[in-house]
Amino acid sequence: MSGVVLEARELRVRPFGARSERRGGTESGFVLEIEALDLHAGEVLAVLGPNGAGKSTLLRALGGLEMPERGQIVAHTSGPVAMVFQRPLLLSGSVAWNVALPLWGAGMPRAERRGRAQRALAHFGLEALAERRGITLSGGEMRRVALAQAFVREPAVLLLDEPFDDLDARAQEMLSLDLRSAIGATGVAVALVTHDLRQAMLLADRIAVLLGGRLAQAGMRADVLRRPASAEVARLVGMANLLPGSVVGRDESGYAVVEIAGECRLRAASGLAVGTSVLAGIRPEHVKIDVGRGETSVLGKGLVARTLHDGVLVTAWIAWAGHELRTVAIAGRGLGHALADGDEVPFAVRPEDVHLIRR
Amino acid sequence: MSEPSFATLSEIALRTLVVSGSALVLAVALGLPLGLLLGGRRFRGRGLAVSIVNAAMGLPPVVVGLVVALLLWRSGPLGSLGLMYTPTAMVIAQVAIALPLVVGISHAAVGALGPEWRLQVRALGVRGARALWLLLRETKLGLLAAVIAALGGILSEVGAVMMVGGNLEGETRVLTTGILMYTQMGRFSEALALSALLLGITFLLAGTLTALQQAGRR
Repeated sequence: MSGVVLEARELRVRPFGARSERRGGTESGFVLEIEALDLHAGEVLAVLGPNGAGKSTLLRALGGLEMPERGQIVAHTSGPVAMVFQRPLLLSGSVAWNVALPLWGAGMPRAERRGRAQRALAHFGLEALAERRGITLSGGEMRRVALAQAFVREPAVLLLDEPFDDLDARAQEMLSLDLRSAIGATGVAVALVTHDLRQAMLLADRIAVLLGGRLAQAGMRADVLRRPASAEVARLVGMANLLPGSVVGRDESGYAVVEIAGECRLRAASGLAVGTSVLAGIRPEHVKIDVGRGETSVLGKGLVARTLHDGVLVTAWIAWAGHELRTVAIAGRGLGHALADGDEVPFAVRPEDVHLIRR
Repeated sequence: MSEPSFATLSEIALRTLVVSGSALVLAVALGLPLGLLLGGRRFRGRGLAVSIVNAAMGLPPVVVGLVVALLLWRSGPLGSLGLMYTPTAMVIAQVAIALPLVVGISHAAVGALGPEWRLQVRALGVRGARALWLLLRETKLGLLAAVIAALGGILSEVGAVMMVGGNLEGETRVLTTGILMYTQMGRFSEALALSALLLGITFLLAGTLTALQQAGRR
């Protein structure tokens, strides 16, 4: 991955109007504090956080729309920084006019504007809508227009606020594919913020987790997903199983043995010392219920307490050690084919898939 | 008293246009920037300012007339300017009546764009005069509604201009004060003639502004 295009250092931002404009007033005095955050050329960084974590504030600060109280944002690029808001603003006038708007704002001659706008429209499949009025579009179309409006400037940095929010699953898929091809073709560095892990995963190379205005963790997507830094991060990135226990020893292979309850133990690839109180974190997809012969990581048998079929996946909760372990299987395949409440199933978790978090 | 000639009627109509036109131009020139500022920016005391403007939109014109009269009276604080019973005094009173209407309605028009408008336009890289042009373009409907409301308030007003203008023949008589006077004198044909003129002017100006407002809309 090449150089840093945008960096935030020792950042402290108090969103303007935080007291008067935010509903409920619960966030009065909200402050965003980021020690260091870098955006690299050609990467997609997803900032993941619950509502009120300061995601939009961070994005606006990166875009130069919020003045930091302290610290700075340095852009190592001469290209424009474009931003797409959660609720894009389309002005009265045609779609083509809206897309060309930033070029008009930059004082570009009409002929050049038209060519650039045409290309941006084509990139997001909007040619047929070019002469439509902006206000007549659907939410998904509006999002596409806003993205075309951002790409038309040939930005070096693209900031996206909840780019897939309010779109149905299919629209999300289509948009993420188009976005990915546009990002790949232009090499733009992208920072997007979202509250939804799935939406973050559609594009992200790297994930930063924002909690209460602070950066809780940042890293490559697989690292953050598999090794969250805290229980809060773990819940946010979908590590749904967090079992309290303590490290009671090491087995012959060097894995830490964690006692969850009585005889219920599991093994984890972890260097934590014996006696440490931990949360054993296991992602649902790592709880394996299609246990074949020769499987060495069988934890035991559990009772299927509840199941949920959404047509594609079967989510099952398996009662074990006083907890309900969440797992997923593909519907209509293997065990997922016939899994039902009350079944007793053996299940396995590899020690490499158990992540210990200090309590 | 002699019959008013055609020349007298047209002189009254012309004065009405000059006085009300000046007042409208001044009220819009002062009121639109204030309305845009009030609607588009966040600052301390904004809520109070909005309350004052909204209350002032309902000010009784006679009270405005009284206050302007007190200010301009020979012994008043601005008495030395000698403006009482001049067209200038009438313009001042009409501006005082129309200004809150322009500020209040244009503020609402800009406010309706939402708090993110300015940020989004900035994020698109549009600044300065072009951003202002976008703002005017997008709020045209509301801004022209403000101008139309101000025009209506100014043209139909009689109490304040009567008090500070005095309805002096050949000097400060305008259509509304003329109508009032002729009606009180029982000279209804003259009153009706002036009324017809006033209505004609009102429809013409309001119609032009409306055409401007609705142009290019679907």
